[in-house]
Order: sequence, then C-alpha cells, then structure tokens
Amino acid sequence: MNLIPIYIIFIPIITAMFVYVVNKKVFNYLVFLAQGVITFLSIRYYMLCDGFIEKQILVLGGWEKTISISLRNDRLSISFIFLTILMWWLILVYCWEKRKSDFKFLFFLLFLEGAFLGLIQTNDMFNMFIFIEITTILSTILIIYKKDGYSVRAGLYYLLFNSIGMVFFLLGLIFIYTVTGSLNLDIISEKISLMGENSVVNLSYILIIAAVGVKSAFFPVYNWLPKAHGAAPASISALLSGLLVKGGVYAFIRFNQVFNIDSLKEIFFIIGCITAISGVLFALSQKDIKQILAFHTISQIGIILMGLSSMTGKSYVGGVMHIFNHAIFKSLLFMGAGYIINVYGTRKITEIRGVFKNMPFISCLMIIGMLSITGAPLFNGLVSKTIIKYGLKDNGIKTIILYIINLGTGTSFIKMSQMFFGSFKVQKIKSYNTGIAMVTLAIICIILGNFYLPFTNILFGDDFSTVKVVSISSLLNYIISIGLGYLIYKWIIEKDYKIIKRLRHLNISFETTNFMLISFIFIMIIWSYF
Amino acid sequence: MRVSFILGFILLSIGIYGVCTSKNIIKSIIFFNIIQASIIMLFLNFGSIDSTNIPIISEMSQGTENMVDPLPQALMITTIVIGAAITALALMLSIKIFHYYGTLNWKELIEREG
Repeated sequence: MNLIPIYIIFIPIITAMFVYVVNKKVFNYLVFLAQGVITFLSIRYYMLCDGFIEKQILVLGGWEKTISISLRNDRLSISFIFLTILMWWLILVYCWEKRKSDFKFLFFLLFLEGAFLGLIQTNDMFNMFIFIEITTILSTILIIYKKDGYSVRAGLYYLLFNSIGMVFFLLGLIFIYTVTGSLNLDIISEKISLMGENSVVNLSYILIIAAVGVKSAFFPVYNWLPKAHGAAPASISALLSGLLVKGGVYAFIRFNQVFNIDSLKEIFFIIGCITAISGVLFALSQKDIKQILAFHTISQIGIILMGLSSMTGKSYVGGVMHIFNHAIFKSLLFMGAGYIINVYGTRKITEIRGVFKNMPFISCLMIIGMLSITGAPLFNGLVSKTIIKYGLKDNGIKTIILYIINLGTGTSFIKMSQMFFGSFKVQKIKSYNTGIAMVTLAIICIILGNFYLPFTNILFGDDFSTVKVVSISSLLNYIISIGLGYLIYKWIIEKDYKIIKRLRHLNISFETTNFMLISFIFIMIIWSYF
Repeated sequence: MRVSFILGFILLSIGIYGVCTSKNIIKSIIFFNIIQASIIMLFLNFGSIDSTNIPIISEMSQGTENMVDPLPQALMITTIVIGAAITALALMLSIKIFHYYGTLNWKELIEREG
C-alpha cells in the first residue's frame, strides 16, 4: 500500500500504451477503468495517511535518502492530485463522443495525466525537469491535434519557447548542485537554510523561477499562451488553462518553499500586478472568444501570483484557493465556448448572437462560469479573491489594484455576454457528454462558493470563518463594478477605437519573446542585488 | 580554469544571442541545440576535476575517493535524449509549417492570417 504514489503515476501511462498498442475500439473503455482505479487509490492513500498532517516521503529502490529518487506528498500535492484526477474525468467525459475511437488522442491524453501526476509528486529536481519536459512535448502534440496551419504554428512556438525556458532551469540546477551536492529538494532546503545569504543560490533560484515563469505565463513571457489556447481543440484548451499552466505555478510554490528567499517577494507581487493588468487589457481588445478566455487565464494567473508572492499568511492561502477555483470555472467556460464554436462555426463574438434562445441550458452554465470569474457573491471566484484581499487589507494600493483588475474582468465578460442576446437560427447539435461535464463543473462552482470552510480546513488546517465573504457590501461592490463595466463597454470598448485595434493586432515574434525572457532574468538579478 | 569551461560559457552566450536575434525557424532550433550543448558541457566540467578516475570500481582505481562524480554524466545523457526528442518534433513541425505557409520566417508567419 505504500507504493500508491507510483501506481498513480504508472497506471495511466501503462493503460495509455496498452490502448495504443492493442488499437481496438472496445479496449478504449479501459481509460475509464484506469481513471476509476487511480481515483480509488488516491482516496485510499488519503485515508491511510490521516489527512497528511505530516508529509510522506517514499524513497524508491531501497537506496540511501541522499542519493535516491524519492516522491513526496503533503496536503498541497494531494489536493493537486485530486484536482488533476477530477479534471481528467471531466475532460474524458467531455470529449468522449468525438474521440472514443481515436486511440492516438487517448494515448497522449492519458500519458499526459501520468506525467502530470509525476510532476506533482516528485521530490527530485532533475525528475521535475524531466516531467515538465514530457508534459511540454505531449501537450504540444495535443495542441497541434487539428493539424491545420494555425495550430501547427502555435504548437511550434509553444514547444520551442518552453524548451528554451527549461534550458535555464537546467542551468539553475547545475549551480544548485555545485553548491549543495544534492538534487533532493528536502536536502537542498536544509542546506540552504544553514548557508544563509549566498549569491550562487540566489542566481540559481532566479534562473529556476524564470523557467517556471515561462511555464506558468508570468508577465513578459506569456506570449505562447494565447496562441496555444486559441489553436488547441476545446477539450485541450480547458485542460491547458485549467491544469497545465497550474503545473508551473505548483513548481513555483515548491521552489519558493525550498529556497525561501525573501529579497524577491516584492517583485513577484509587481510581476503579478503587471501580468493581471496586461492580461485584462489584451482581453478587452480581443474579438475571438477563445482568445478572450486565454487572456483571462493570464490575468487570473496574475491574481494568483499576487496572492502567492508573500508565501505565508492569508493571501497565500487565497492564492492557492484561487488556483483551484480558476481551474474549475475556466475549464467550464472553455468547454462552453468550444460547444458554441462547434454549433455556430465561427469564433468571432461579434458574429455569435442569440445563444440564449438557441441553447438556454448551456447558456445558464456559461453564465454561472462568468459570474464565478467576475466574483459574484455565492460563487467560488469571490471566495478566493476576498481571502487574497483580506491578506492585503493593510495596504491600500494593493487593494485598489485588485479592484481595478476585477473591474476589467467584469467589462470583458459584459462584452462576451453580448452573444447571449439577439436572435439567430442555428442547427442544434445534441451532446449529452458536454452537458454532464459542464453541469458537474457548475455544481462544484456553487458548492465551493458557499461551503468553502471544510475545504480550507482540510487543505490548510486553517479556519477562515472570520473572513466575511458574502455580505451586503460585497454585493454592492459587485453591482457597482458591473455597472461601471457596462458603461466602459458602451463608451469605450464598443466604439473600437484605433488603439484597441492596434492592441488586438499586436504580435510579438519569437526572437523578441526570447529577448524578453533574458531581460526578465536580468531584471530579477538586478533586483535581488540592489 | 580549463579551456572547455570557458568554451562552454562562450557557447552559451552564442546560443542566447542566437535565439534572441535569428528570424528563421531552423536557425532558432539550431541555436536551441547550441544552448543545450553548452549546458551539457558546463555541467560535465563542474562535475569533474583533473586527474580523477572513471566512476567504475576495479583493480586499477584506488578506492572511491578519487572518482569523478557520476551523477552529472547520468543526468546529461537524459538531457541529450530529451533535447533530441524536442529537436525532432520541432523539425517535423517546421516541415509542416513550410507546407502550409511556404515560409520559415517567424515574422512573415505571424503576419499571415489563418
């Protein structure tokens, strides 16, 4: 029973290979069996370890702790495992109708699940590098799955840029290995805390964070994200936005716990601000429904980073909660958008009209997602945003920035909600699987929005009943921000001024992006030394 | 300081300069490989000191004290494999791109709609 973490990694991978090799339609249903088995095993593991009050380390191969490969599980990683398995269930249900005989797609999808679960559990730096690279390669293949020119271009951009980012991870790994003589994250953490200030450790931390920042789309290095999200099939966009980006954020949390360097915490808050604001600005200028959602992923990552940057206290907890909430409502929105695009045959929100009349059920679910992302009371987006705000309440400027971001998000979703109005006849496509996946996500949105206290208790061992989330003032706040957003939409966004057009067609080419990555590293180095 | 050590840093800076300036997809892939090669070179250099033995216990070697650290070499083999996989995938994608768009220039590619 101790070996459950390994089973969780390898059962999806072996099933994927089996499905690919056997290549029979009947055997494709094995993916659900594998999912069921790992769900059962992870719940069993949670029960066995008593809710993970202490972290569990599994040393592989019977070697000494210092030289062996090990897997580590604590509260954070086990909750990420549950999130991963839940997301894969929903994605499989969502795309099953279309892909049930497509054994190649299922192979890549399940293999990706195994690699991602490995990335979450690993306690070894080089293994983390390998798992991140495997997820990059596999998600590139899934992004280009439509095999048209646009997606191939986006896939190549994604692959090359992420690999160049990961090269810096390797460079940081060299420096940390020369200083500490180990790649085990626990041992590195112990040795660093004994060492005190050390410029080589600082440098390697910066290089690693830059690489992780590329993966999780921080400010100057997020150009790959809207391209990749726009080009991928709907189910894969939901997966990318909901989870794979969070893989980078998870690595960010882990490395911050290991290195624990204070001098850079303030710049992460600033990077988070710029990420969030620029994401919102680009989202306001876009007209492609998937691009809007992709840029909102960036802005929400910015909010998460703002929460996480302190690494302690209430705002950190809020940041971690926002990871989960964002995964749920953003994949709900992407699934709905994919369905709407499928029915209408276009992605321009100026051409999609009358969604509510044609498909009222899907529209209701989409509206639940929109209410969540804009932070309406009783939905899950507000909970984590309020906790982040509560953590930052002594600082006036930071709170105002959060208000501005929320206002921009509201405006952008008012723009998107225009597609519900009007009348336009279309051929309906019946799809029960889409409905099942989206209803599940919407129910989770509402449950997490109302009954979040047990969740925070289990995840952080912290009581949040003192933080008042739903109140009259929050309702008023929401109504005012939506009203202001509507005015901004009517007066500025709908007029489509020249500057908005220019923002929409702003394209940054590959070499400039690399230059931005290098300058990102240099800015962090300069910041940490002065 | 050894020559290969300096060579590694020179290669690294050439590679970084290359990915920041090259406008062609194939050149970007080549420079990515140069960066990776330079990092492999650097790591192997950090891992070994002059006049050390190979990490195999035999009659010739005098105990384990005078051995080279075998871990960097093992890690770098894996890195080479990953680099090869990424290069192969990227080259395949660039062939596809040339079929669709008829160009391998990043800027021209991005300007083309669709």
